[in-house]
Amino acid sequence: MLNRRVVLTVVPLVVAGMALSACGSSKKSSSGGSSSSGGSTAAGGNKPTFKIAYQGPLSGGNAQLGLNMKFAVELAINEANAAGDLPFKLEYTESDDQGDGKVSPTAARKLIDDKSVIGVVGPAFSGATKAAEPLFADAKLATVSPSATSPTLADGGWASFFRVVADDNAQGPADADYAVKKLGAKNIYVIDDASAYGQPLSKAFGDQAKTDGAQVTSESAPGTTQCQAGQGNAQQYPALATKIKGSGADTVFYAGYYCDFALLAKALKAAGFSGNLFSDDGSLDPKYIEQAGADVAEGTYISCACADISTNSAAQDFITKFKALAKFDSGTYSPEAFDAANTIISVLKKIGPSATREQVIEGLKTVDYKGITKEVKFESNGNIAGTSVYIYQVKGGKITSLGLANT
Amino acid sequence: MSAIRDSEAIRPPQSAGGGRSAWQRLRRNNNARKLVACIIGALVAAVITGPSGSVSHPTAGFTGALFHPRVIVFLVLGVLLWLAMVGRETLSENIKTVTAPISMARTRWLGDPKVRYSLYAALLIFAIIYPRSLSSFWQGVLVDQIGVYVLLAIGLNVVVGFAGLLDLGYIAFYAIGAYSCAYWTGALPIKPVFHLNPFVSIVFAVAAAMIAGVILGAPTLRLRGDYLAIVTLGFGEIITIYANNLQSVTGGAGGTNVVPHLSVNLLGLKYHWKLDSLPYYYLLLVFVVAILVMFRALENSRVGRAWTAIREDEVAAEASGVNTFKYKLLAFAMGASTSGFAGVLFASKVQTLYPSSFALTESILILVLVIFGGMGSLPGAVLGAAVLQWLPQFLRGKINQADLFLYLGALLIIMMIFRPQGIWPSRRRARELAMAEAGLTEADAVSGPTAGEVQ
Amino acid sequence: MCLTHNFWGFFVPGLANGFLYALIALGYTLVYGVLQLINFAHSEVFMSGGFAGLFTLNWLIGKHHPAGMSSVGYVVIGCVAGAVGGGVVAYLLERVAYRPLRRRHAPKLAFLISAIGASYFLLNLAGKEFGRDSRPIAQPFTQTQTDPLFKIFGTGVSLYYAVIAVVAIIMLVMLDRLVNKTRLGQGIRAVAQDADTAGLMGVDINRVIAQTFIVGGLLGGAAGFLYGLGPANVSYTMGFTPGLKAFTAAVLGGIGNIRGAMLGGLLLGIIENLSVACISPSWVDVVSFFILVLVLLVRPTGILGERLGRSA
Repeated sequence: MLNRRVVLTVVPLVVAGMALSACGSSKKSSSGGSSSSGGSTAAGGNKPTFKIAYQGPLSGGNAQLGLNMKFAVELAINEANAAGDLPFKLEYTESDDQGDGKVSPTAARKLIDDKSVIGVVGPAFSGATKAAEPLFADAKLATVSPSATSPTLADGGWASFFRVVADDNAQGPADADYAVKKLGAKNIYVIDDASAYGQPLSKAFGDQAKTDGAQVTSESAPGTTQCQAGQGNAQQYPALATKIKGSGADTVFYAGYYCDFALLAKALKAAGFSGNLFSDDGSLDPKYIEQAGADVAEGTYISCACADISTNSAAQDFITKFKALAKFDSGTYSPEAFDAANTIISVLKKIGPSATREQVIEGLKTVDYKGITKEVKFESNGNIAGTSVYIYQVKGGKITSLGLANT
Repeated sequence: MSAIRDSEAIRPPQSAGGGRSAWQRLRRNNNARKLVACIIGALVAAVITGPSGSVSHPTAGFTGALFHPRVIVFLVLGVLLWLAMVGRETLSENIKTVTAPISMARTRWLGDPKVRYSLYAALLIFAIIYPRSLSSFWQGVLVDQIGVYVLLAIGLNVVVGFAGLLDLGYIAFYAIGAYSCAYWTGALPIKPVFHLNPFVSIVFAVAAAMIAGVILGAPTLRLRGDYLAIVTLGFGEIITIYANNLQSVTGGAGGTNVVPHLSVNLLGLKYHWKLDSLPYYYLLLVFVVAILVMFRALENSRVGRAWTAIREDEVAAEASGVNTFKYKLLAFAMGASTSGFAGVLFASKVQTLYPSSFALTESILILVLVIFGGMGSLPGAVLGAAVLQWLPQFLRGKINQADLFLYLGALLIIMMIFRPQGIWPSRRRARELAMAEAGLTEADAVSGPTAGEVQ
Repeated sequence: MCLTHNFWGFFVPGLANGFLYALIALGYTLVYGVLQLINFAHSEVFMSGGFAGLFTLNWLIGKHHPAGMSSVGYVVIGCVAGAVGGGVVAYLLERVAYRPLRRRHAPKLAFLISAIGASYFLLNLAGKEFGRDSRPIAQPFTQTQTDPLFKIFGTGVSLYYAVIAVVAIIMLVMLDRLVNKTRLGQGIRAVAQDADTAGLMGVDINRVIAQTFIVGGLLGGAAGFLYGLGPANVSYTMGFTPGLKAFTAAVLGGIGNIRGAMLGGLLLGIIENLSVACISPSWVDVVSFFILVLVLLVRPTGILGERLGRSA
């Protein structure tokens, strides 16, 4: 039997191991070395070094979503360096905000303090962005968020704020129009995941669908812990599905992420629901089909304010390279993060080796970059310009594009 | 009727009897067991720090960590540690000769109020001067991660440490304070009766938190330890759910509008707190010191003695004429109002509130801070909050960030095995624990008497 | 109103949900019975069972669709795998996070912190080694969940619910026999009633405690598999909410009381599903905690009262 003394011996060892790994992994984790105090000239020549940072969740419940973006940013930087035509050297750095508005100001200060950081991809979440953006604006450090979709962010008046995704106000009403006018939905059951993302979206959808003359029932089902979206219990879905089935709805719209949507879709199928399933860009992920099962997911409509990347050859290249770097498939917001990083890089290229943080902000205001998801151009409030909503459908176990929502 | 004692001494006779196999002899050999433990520990450390796997390759992480030359480094470390352990007996004698005068000096000095107060003064001066030399990142950490949590930990320390009430919904009062502040400063979708300066809203917010504490406490404080824990836990959950679901009142999951920064405009004194962390830090420092002084006085007063009595033995306290219910409610309300107060500072610092900031895990985190620091000890609560909140920031970028909580989890287990009383236990608690270890009394009354006993 | 037209449609999934809660709640209650401790890491034991079941079934089944008796075999194998996974983790948990503290007579709250630490550790270890995604378990039966196996009051009971009920009932009955009729059960009851005296009577307390953890782990692990088999999937964070709910259920029924945990689990499962039907999924937790508070105010030790020793 182990006694205390034995445990006493094990534990310092673990500590020692940790200390060791702390040294070890810091060497590994960032390809370009992560010492933040680095001077701005590279060892090799006279090229200055700029850092492009990623801020988003890297630990805690939303880590996976954050990792989806992190590797995309790293990939963009690696590719730009490898191209060899840069008048400067790029480095990757990161700051973990756990997707939490409480942590994000701290994470932001870390990047602001590092004078060689010239642009930031992120913050990933709307709440984190709201909390950190005043600091970035104060420091005149540009942030390009790949995934913060809260409409109110554009009203903050922060010069440093840009995003490469459409806000929820673009998507919700377009989806409602499509559901009612194209799919002929008459009785729609709208469910959100009670998150900062789902709540406003379901409201925008419901309001428009009512205007279009459909009968709308709204309900909130908190995202579940196994999907890291909240503290809901997955066992709520069978009962909810029975309720939906009993309500006589012909269409279910889910405002939330693919993981919970897959659970709901499975439960709906089990309850014998045979109407249309409809969700948003949070569900535009092949993992939805994998987790729900191909037969359950078949026929599901999914909307996104992003163009189809699977037919785009540049995007194919991205998908393979991402997998090689990250050791997992690119997922939600990976392409957006890739575009955000490349947009900053394209601005830097234009300015050249003397770039300052303020110049990057100015450059982003007038940028026109053709990314893998869309053409990146910003409006004066930082929103992406000219967003159109696309509709996708799961057919034969694959997500295929049906084209623009309003055509 | 108490915690389970070590049964080594009262092992069934058959295992102590003769006829042991070689295996049993090996298991009885202390050094051999230590070696095995060291090697297992080394392998665990190798896995923790090793590569990650995935669902399609669930063993990739383990094989990558264990069938790789780097495991040798860990094994060597493990064996070295074992050697150090085996040679420790002589070593510990040497250590004792060195540490004995130090610990003697410590008791003598800390017993002397003059030395103690000059020590406090020196610490305070350090706390005033040192942060000025920090980068804005660390200044931010001092406020957002450390300062606010120090305040919270001090408040929870009154409830858990002084009165021995296990409160798992402590964060609810923090939320009530923060949302009250948002309400009175006009940052919620529903508009207040009249707008208030955030400073003035402190009064209302603290009152709201305290009232909530009394409303929750009055019926539930009659429950025993673990039942109180689950009821408070439920209360914490309910508050977050309300904040999340009542979109028209709180703004829902999308968060509140912007809460203004603190500002003073009184008798010619004009100051406006801004994005900069340092002014907030000093404000927090003032409040923390004031509250510490207050609680210290309380601890040594009649009230504090009543709490100690309740914590150590509620039945005996009741029998000696202590109105246990009154004092428990008082502790609960004091904790709640401190938490509400911290909520106001938090609200005006972060400016936007989200229900997710007040999740159950936060309540648990604060409890961890208090116990890690040393239950019932005010310096312990401060130190626990400071150390545990500083550590993740220190590790930022040094370890694979996704594995942060893996390390913190291991740290908590290790800490509790070595020093269950926390890093800076109060002297009274230390005595209670020593008595418990000697088997004289129960270590704490938080869970009440064990098996049996009808209430 | 909300229940008139389809009461049984909500009741049946609620009952299945309740069986799962009961299985998990027993883990809390057993440990509480012998140690008077809330085992906060039990939700990770549950999660381990889910992963053990996931790996075993996905490896065995692969792409083909089993049918007939082989389906039964797969369910049994999955349950056993889940139970073993849960049992092993529970044992290790006791060995590493609890026993060293017990030897020191650490205060109760130190156990709580140690358990929280273990919970963080196990959770993130699973996330690191098995990926941070949620995964479905390969379905062991051809019959889809839609097709009802038989009907109760006009509501079809699907195969999945039937499997949960059968497995849970078998395990609950076995546990009841174990605690009441076997030598181990005698030990558990003795330690629960008075550990010191039990020790003096020659009961090896450490052994009994370890075995209690294992028994709780077996039940929790099997529940983890059953949970992941349905519409829930398996992921490293799957344990948190079911664990919390099962703990609530254990307190509701009277913590430390085995039949109380069963009753509390079933009640809570049914209440939750009915409140999804009548109110909304987002208010379910409010309803269940409200009921818990009401019950505790009327009966401060839960519905059946506490005490593993006497009631079981």
